[in-house]
This record gives sequence, C-alpha cells and structure tokens, in this order.
Amino acid sequence: MAIAQTILTQDLADEIALVDAQPAKLRGEMLDLQHAAAFLPRTKIIASTDYSVTVGSDLCIVSAGARQIAGESRLNLLQRNVALFRGIIPPLAKYSPGTILMIVSNPVDVLTYVAWKLSGFPSNRVVGSGTNLDSSRFRFLIADHLDVNAQDVQASIIGEHGDSSVALWSSISVGGVPILSFLEKQQIPYEKETLEGIHKAVVDSAYEVISLKGYTSWAIGYSAANLARSILRDQRKIHPVSVLAKGFYGIDDGDVFLSLPALLGRGGVLGVTNVNLTDEEAHRLRKSAQTILKVQSQLGL
Amino acid sequence: MQKSASASSLGPGGIDLSQIFFKPTQNTSTPSPTKRHTKISVIGAGNVGMAIAQTILTQDLADELALVDAKADKLRGEMLDLQHAAAFLPRTRILASTDYSATDGSDLCIVTAGARQNPGESRLNLLQRNVEMFQGIIPPLARSSPDTILMIVSNPVDVLTYVAWKLSGFPSNRVIGSGTNLDSSRFRFLIADHLDVNAQDVQAYIVGEHGDSSVALWSSISVGGVPVLSFLEKQQIPYEKEALERIHKAVVESADEVISLKGYTSWAIGYSAANLARSLLRDQRKIHPVSVLANGFYGIAGDVFLSLPALLGRGGVLGVTNVHLTDEEAQRLRNSARTISEVQSQLGL
Repeated sequence: MAIAQTILTQDLADEIALVDAQPAKLRGEMLDLQHAAAFLPRTKIIASTDYSVTVGSDLCIVSAGARQIAGESRLNLLQRNVALFRGIIPPLAKYSPGTILMIVSNPVDVLTYVAWKLSGFPSNRVVGSGTNLDSSRFRFLIADHLDVNAQDVQASIIGEHGDSSVALWSSISVGGVPILSFLEKQQIPYEKETLEGIHKAVVDSAYEVISLKGYTSWAIGYSAANLARSILRDQRKIHPVSVLAKGFYGIDDGDVFLSLPALLGRGGVLGVTNVNLTDEEAHRLRKSAQTILKVQSQLGL
Repeated sequence: MQKSASASSLGPGGIDLSQIFFKPTQNTSTPSPTKRHTKISVIGAGNVGMAIAQTILTQDLADELALVDAKADKLRGEMLDLQHAAAFLPRTRILASTDYSATDGSDLCIVTAGARQNPGESRLNLLQRNVEMFQGIIPPLARSSPDTILMIVSNPVDVLTYVAWKLSGFPSNRVIGSGTNLDSSRFRFLIADHLDVNAQDVQAYIVGEHGDSSVALWSSISVGGVPVLSFLEKQQIPYEKEALERIHKAVVESADEVISLKGYTSWAIGYSAANLARSLLRDQRKIHPVSVLANGFYGIAGDVFLSLPALLGRGGVLGVTNVHLTDEEAQRLRNSARTISEVQSQLGL
C-alpha cells in the first residue's frame, strides 16, 4: 500500500489495480484511497482478488510475500514465497503479456529470477527493486554527514540485496568529486574497517527499522515509485536494480539476477553501465552471485 | 542547523570529512529572519499520523517535519523509514522525539494522537480517553510554538478542537479541526463517481458535526457550476428526500466501513490533512469545511466548534462563508451544535 499510495500521490498512473488474497482488507484499502478523490488528480482505482483486474497493465509490481520477521535473513523467506509466486506470476503474464514485471518481495534477487522463469518474459522486462533502496540509505548516510542534498551524492550498492551486497567505494562522488581519491589527495588516512562499518550500517538499516516499527514501508514505497517513474516516463536513468547479470562483470556461472547499475526506460532494462570495479569489488560481486546461485539451485526451476 | 547525532562521523569509529569537504564562503551574514522555512509537527506516529506525515513529505509542503509520540521505538523506526528515502525526495529535515521540544518553532502542529476508533464505537465514546491525553499534549505544543496554527484530527474532532482551543489559550483563528473536510471529499467522490466526472468539478459540502449529526448541504451542491437540485427540478426528475438521506448516510458510514474492512482509516485522512496544510501554509485562501468556532454564525450561540465552510490561509481561519441554508439545513446545523455542546458541557473546561 505504501507503493500504491506513493504512486497515486505522485500522479504516475491513470489507473491503479490492487490485488490481494484477503478481500475485506483489499476493499478497505481501495475505499480509503478512493475517498481522497477530491484531493487528487483523477485516477481510476480498482481492486480484486481475481487477476483479471490487472489486464492491460504497463507495470506490475509484486510485493506479495510473507513479512520478514526481525532477525530473519532474507533468504529464509524463500520457500514460502516461491510457492506464492506460482499462483501470482503466470496469471499476471497471461493478463498483461506486454507488461514490465517489478519484483519487490524478498529475497528479491532469487524471486526476480523465479518471476522471470515463471513468466517466460524476455529479461529486459523483469526487474527487481534490488539495491535501489540500499543505495538511497547509503547516499542518505553520506549526505547527512556532509550536510549536503542526497541527490548530489552518487553512490551505489550492488550485488545481492542482502548481507553479501557490494558497496562501490571507488564510485562514490559528491557533486562530481570522487570521495576516495579526495581522501587520498588530502592525505586523510582511512581504514578499510571504517568503510566496512558504513556498509554494514546500510545492510543493518532495514533490520533496525523492522525491530523498531515491525516492518519497513515508506522508504520502499518511494523507491518503487522512483523506479516506476523512470520506467513509465522513459527517463533513461541509471538505477541499481536486480537484473539478469549473466555476461556482465565476469558473472558467467549461470542465470542469476542481482543488482547492477542499469539504464531504465519504457523498454525496461535498456543496458547495464560499465562501472570500473576494483579487483576486490569485482571479486565480491562474483561471490555475491555465487551466494544467490547456491540458493537458486535448490529451487528446481 | 544541527545534524543528527549519528552523522557527526561517517560510520562507527569513522571518518570526519565534514570540516574539509566544502570550503566555506567568506564574509557571510545570516539571511533575514523572514526567509521562508516551514516546519510542520505531527503528534502521534500511528497509522493516521504517519499517513499525514508521509503525504506532506511526498507533496513537498515543509522544509522540516517533526514527529512526536509516546512510543520511542516505533517513533524512531518511522523516522528512519522516512529518512531512508532521502535520495528520492526534495531535502526535508525529519526529526522525531518523545519530547515536545522537538516541535519548537512549528508553523503548523497536527494532532492525531488518540485511541483508535473501534468498529461500531461512536466517536463521542472515545472522548474521555482523548481529553486526558490532550492535557499532556496541547500545553507543551503551545509553549514550544506560541504562534503556531493547531490542527486537530483526533476524534471526536469537534469537541477535541474545542478542548485544544481552551488548553492552548490561542485565539480561535489559529485552532481548527479537520472536521468534515474528508466527509465532503467522500460525498464529492460518490456524486462524481455516479456522474463519471472529476471530483474536483463537484462542489458539495457536509457541515456540522464530524459524525452522525452532520448536515449535507443539498441546496449547495453543484457540478461544473450547475446546481444539482434545481437541475433535477427543471428537468422534472422526481427525487425523494429518503434518497438524499441514504446518500448522506452512506457518507457518514464510509469511515466505519473502511474500519471494519481494514481495521482503521489512514490514506484518505492523510490526503485531507495535507490538503488543509497546503491551504494554510501556502496562503491559498481556499474554502474548506473544517471545524471552527461557530459562535455567532448561522444562529449558533455558545462556544462550540463544528464544521462550516471556512476561508483558510496563512493567518488560519480568515472567515466563514455565508452559504444560503434552507430552513431545514439551518435547523439541522443548530441541532448538530446542540449535540456537541451537550457533550462538551460534561467536560468542565
């Protein structure tokens, strides 16, 4: 609902369809959005437990899944969610054969792979929200420290949306100034452990919010709406999102989805940027790919 | 401007770049105090408070947003969840505390704190629980921001807006209740949906109590400027009073319906409050049906707050429009006022 409501407030769609298994909750949510009609541009809002309501969608965002419990790793949710996807992805693909599928449910990388397999879609039309939000949290931490607007901070976290994600330290820049070479030129010493600490703070962010309020909602809502805008308005913006990574950065072991800096537009994933990775970053990325592949191989898809 | 405590160094045991990354400009002087910096405080980080806060944030209505709640963990979690979206939003300072000092210097304070209305519970039954809570909320808010505008959302909103007015000592133009702004939106939605027209082309007000005794101003409904009732009469389309009553009842029951389906309402009241915040803080001089001190209007005597079509701007409530009421509408409005006064008189304020 945070995703739907943010999309509504930001006027990104003419029609929004909501689907859930719980009809009373679903109807309540639909009414609660419709009642705001006088305060919003006119948007058709429909809801049903039946997937026929999604017919003709330009974008389908899948957030269905068990809620991640405090302390539960994203990978532990997996089996519950794969079963769920067997009932979700095929009907979505049937009703909107030309749609773009965006997967938000965790563990997002494996589930994006699952969605790709179950839909039969070409890989440019299947994307996972991936590390788009991790990167926003990363940019927030850096921006807050420097007291500068987060949009002036370029910083990506890629790889698995989870514990094995990779912070691209060599690619962080603020107002165009690359941070690490700035530190070196200013002769400010820094320790690798410090950078690890910052990265860990980002990975732990979601768990922190979950332990405090029980779940996360607002930030992922803004993240998904941000991706929706880039795709539907053909913005050709670069986002770290979960894409089919095979063939990029030496990832050749198998069909794996993980976050890479991807160019997004109306055609979906238009390309993957050629970031210059350090040997260590490339190595961690391949390890991240292996972590995901190991889990994926147990699924029999 | 102070940064959050965690930002003083980058990472645990971390690096401090902040003194050297930017070379400060020389010979500076602080800008004039009239430079615009809008601060909104939201009291209560529950479903309603957070929907309001998040909508205000998405609609870029404030430079600074403060959240206050009694539950420290929940509050911090909500604050972080908003801050983490920094890369996707215009820069807005977001702070949260269980202490009212966080609300210092607010231009607008929105109070949502209160017990959740149970399905079937009338709004008036929530009252006693919420009056006590307000004794701990309104005085500190008024101390932290003596010039602020107070907007009350907690139910029963009309009585609680009266309570807030009394406890704050503020002039009545700076104390309003969200009132029937949302009921009117639901009313407009029903009419617009039926006609398949944009809800913003439907003018329709529900006034009076935000509750069972609210008054639908049928004589004032127009669509694209066409008054609906006289349209029906000119077209010789018969309608029954009961049909109108049923539509009004559907609006009154809307909230209960949503509560029974999803457990509470949040999104619509979020948009409603943000809509009011915009009219106030951006001095829009728009007319909204909101809960104001009704003494002296439409033959209402006594200090009672209820919704009337009010002109809102940066100075708060600038006036109340002189809508032409039928005798029946005027009578119902006075009945509504009496209903609220009766409850109010039991409070001893």
